[in-house]
Amino acid sequence: MDNVRALDVRNVSAGYGGRPIVADIDFCVRAGDILGLLGANGSGKTTLLKALTGQLPLMTGTVAIAGIDLTGKPEKAKAAFGLAIEPGDLPASLSGQQYLELVASIRGCTADAWPCGDVMARLGLARWLPRPIAGYSLGTRAKTAIAAALLGAPPLLIFDESLNGLDPEAAWEVKCMIAELAQTEAHAIVISTHVVETVPALCNRAMFLAEGRILESWDAAALAQAAPTPGAFEAHIIRSLRDQKASSRRRALSSAAPA
Amino acid sequence: MHHDRLVLYLLWTDLRTALRGIRKGDLAWLVLGGGVLVAYGIADIVFALAGYAETLRNARLIWTFEAPAATAVLGLLLGLAASRMARAKALAPFLRPLPLSLVARRRAALLAVSCFGISLAVIVVGLTGLAGLIVAIDDPLASALRAAAAFVSGFAAATFCALADMRTPVDPPALAHASQPGFHLPVLGRLDRATPRWLNAWAWRLPAGRVLLAVPWIVAGLALGIVMVLATGASFATRQAVPAAAAATIGGIAVFMLALRCHPLRSPVLRTAPIGFTRAWLRLMRLPLLLSVVFFSLPASAAVAVQPSAWPISVGCVLMLFILNAAYGVFAAYFATAPLTAALSFVLAIAYAYYESLEYGRTVLLGLAGLIALLWHQARRRYRNG
Repeated sequence: MDNVRALDVRNVSAGYGGRPIVADIDFCVRAGDILGLLGANGSGKTTLLKALTGQLPLMTGTVAIAGIDLTGKPEKAKAAFGLAIEPGDLPASLSGQQYLELVASIRGCTADAWPCGDVMARLGLARWLPRPIAGYSLGTRAKTAIAAALLGAPPLLIFDESLNGLDPEAAWEVKCMIAELAQTEAHAIVISTHVVETVPALCNRAMFLAEGRILESWDAAALAQAAPTPGAFEAHIIRSLRDQKASSRRRALSSAAPA
Repeated sequence: MHHDRLVLYLLWTDLRTALRGIRKGDLAWLVLGGGVLVAYGIADIVFALAGYAETLRNARLIWTFEAPAATAVLGLLLGLAASRMARAKALAPFLRPLPLSLVARRRAALLAVSCFGISLAVIVVGLTGLAGLIVAIDDPLASALRAAAAFVSGFAAATFCALADMRTPVDPPALAHASQPGFHLPVLGRLDRATPRWLNAWAWRLPAGRVLLAVPWIVAGLALGIVMVLATGASFATRQAVPAAAAATIGGIAVFMLALRCHPLRSPVLRTAPIGFTRAWLRLMRLPLLLSVVFFSLPASAAVAVQPSAWPISVGCVLMLFILNAAYGVFAAYFATAPLTAALSFVLAIAYAYYESLEYGRTVLLGLAGLIALLWHQARRRYRNG
């Protein structure tokens, strides 16, 4: 995996109804990387992740997962990543066990092919598994979605605000698992979050999206530099967000003003 | 669980969850009441067949052409419903990011639809063969197989169309925002301005008064237009009000059924708003009712113009239209998220009530009214309590 890019995104634009929501996105993630994706609500994080996981057609550019082109060979490319889907999208009528068995069957592995120990025990999911997902709380659904993403140990793992709703212990376990997986250098992880402090604590790279474009990005060294003290990175992000809002307002006013 | 059977499995678990969701008392009523109704229906049909056996035996066209044609249409409708259901499961949101090809999804959907189709074909063979035996036609097995073959043809054609149309699953907003042919019709917005204003735009999916053109809508519009023109022409040709008045009533209820959308009644947005069930229901009825009356008024005016002395026919048709619209409105509120089921149930209920009224007279209408009252009560309870 060392030389293979787990995720290679080139000049990607994607959106709805011919209108791009994200544009000119260029980055790559290598095995061992944990990329934190930051941005305000509506900045395009989820749209970008949907485009990267083949749920939204690309308007321009290419996405390659473990060297496989997502547009050309979608099934092969999808086999190389695990996405923790939104808890609301889980099939309510299935039990957790049935859902994991179904995902394992599609991925061609067993329902206990975890990359990092017994995920069921670590997340405290075992006792919920025989029950229908319809009866799960938001946190239990999120744990089920995370467990399904890990099944079959895909080289790229994508978590879209998946830590939301988890209890502190489960959130801690998930962060530990992410760090362990990255350390093996067999996996790369992309995690979008609004908990800014998670990024310097967990990730070795970060990207800040605003209005569908990459506004700022940090590699490991820059990230360490940007977070010299607790709270410093968060303060920097908040400043960027405010600057961004102010410049958007200025642009809106100048375009509305009579010539 | 292997993913080849995923559609079948998802449908089965949905059914099991739905059955588990019904209270035991309600389930007992359903099984007992349904069982009694089915037994009564079977007995009724057996007696009717035995009673008209000679006539039916001599009418060879029924066994060679009409029965197969009817089962083919039935197969087409059931095939369409089954394959749409299977397709929705094969394209479920949780499967979108998984490495499951379109071919594998089609295969899983086809397996589920085939299981339905085979079971239904066996039932068709059994029922048609039994009918042939009761009537004592020459070769009941051949008639049964002919009907089953026609049923399978209709079912397979519908399945093929629905599954061939299956596309790679993408995020629904991408589809919703995709550029579709359509046109702006501000008059639709002006037709109906009562609060809450967003209700019709939501129910009808009319973003900013834009009417999206879809093939089924165009076909339905053309069919209604042709029926209206033919019926009005027939009235003018024969100087009789009846053809135009009948077309006005049937067309009016058809327009109403096509237009009514009650899915907002199941939405938490509406259910948690300070709006009562009756007000929300009336509000959803308003625009379809206006369109229905507009459609009705054209052939009905022609009927009065052709035969002015027959104005009571037109008045009776107006009353009938309002009663039918209100009755369908209740069915649509009960099956709020399944308009096709609502329409089929309504048509079947009306047809059954008409059939029974031939034997028992107008007292059957009391049963129909009771059914509508029960559905209204259940729909209101669901709106209030979820």
